[in-house]
Amino acid sequence: MYGNSGTGLSKFSLHNQKILITGASSGIGRSCAVEASAQGAHCILVARNKAELEKTASLCKTKADIHVADLTKEEEIKKLAATVPQLNGMVNCAGIISPRPINFLKKKNLEEVFTINYFAAALLSGELLAAKKMEPGASFVFISSISSQHPYFGAAAYASSKAALESFSKTLALEIAPKKMRSNILLPGMVRTRMLEETKEAVGEENFKHYEKNYPLGFGEVEDVANAVCFLLSNESRWITGSELKMDGGLMLSGIK
Amino acid sequence: MDIQAFIKGLEAEIEDLPPGTLKPDTDYRKVAQWSSMHALIVIAYVDANFNVTLSGPDLRGTNTISDLYNLVQAKLKNV
Repeated sequence: MYGNSGTGLSKFSLHNQKILITGASSGIGRSCAVEASAQGAHCILVARNKAELEKTASLCKTKADIHVADLTKEEEIKKLAATVPQLNGMVNCAGIISPRPINFLKKKNLEEVFTINYFAAALLSGELLAAKKMEPGASFVFISSISSQHPYFGAAAYASSKAALESFSKTLALEIAPKKMRSNILLPGMVRTRMLEETKEAVGEENFKHYEKNYPLGFGEVEDVANAVCFLLSNESRWITGSELKMDGGLMLSGIK
Repeated sequence: MDIQAFIKGLEAEIEDLPPGTLKPDTDYRKVAQWSSMHALIVIAYVDANFNVTLSGPDLRGTNTISDLYNLVQAKLKNV
């Protein structure tokens, strides 16, 4: 279920803010677009799948632009940075998991995961800054994972790429602070997405239920992450930068069993 | 690779599984101690040895080791 407008609660205004969102074709990225648009943002949606981007745009409450781009390709990142309008924010949601035990890990597996989870986010941030597309006060938000600090079996490539992204976000925060720009990163635990459903199918229902028992508040919903993203994009969070926000439904309170 | 070699290779990767545990008609999810870790090893083993990618839905459609082996063979024919 996307969008929680109509609750009567006012949230953080993103009125007329131009926000670029990568990985906007599904899951957390799609939800960020829907929730940001509900706060008045003009979203620029980026992903490889045009049909899914159009679906996201149709769910948005305000006008949304679509940019089909393969962020594993450096030239497409440059082209994207050159063609987007001036931005007030950027949300990096594009990512893959590709779990694999370390004794099966090859360079191509590491490259595949790092290319989208780390290189794409880092290079796009740099290209947007170089092209002077980020307005003063702009906010960068990255999506990491609780697994960067508390990994699970098979997560070596994924968790490492997210840990690298956390260091990147903090360095970026330092470098862009003179322009009153900010960078923050979220570390969600298990969130109900299509990726999670696929994991459930792979590992079986019983194993999956065991995982959820570790979450005092249960697994998260994509809107839970999107709401935090909207806050970090908004001016109400203007004094927050370089932070890592864990969102794990209490997972780390008692540890993984 | 025939199914016996497939099983031998898989058992070698799953070190906590005594050799001879897996048979063609073994319902692998019912093997004692079977966990998500073993599912990941199966996926990685098939990828490394056959260059075949198994997805969650692929695995859901299998129960026995024979099912797994036949799935890999079918995917190899479709490459």
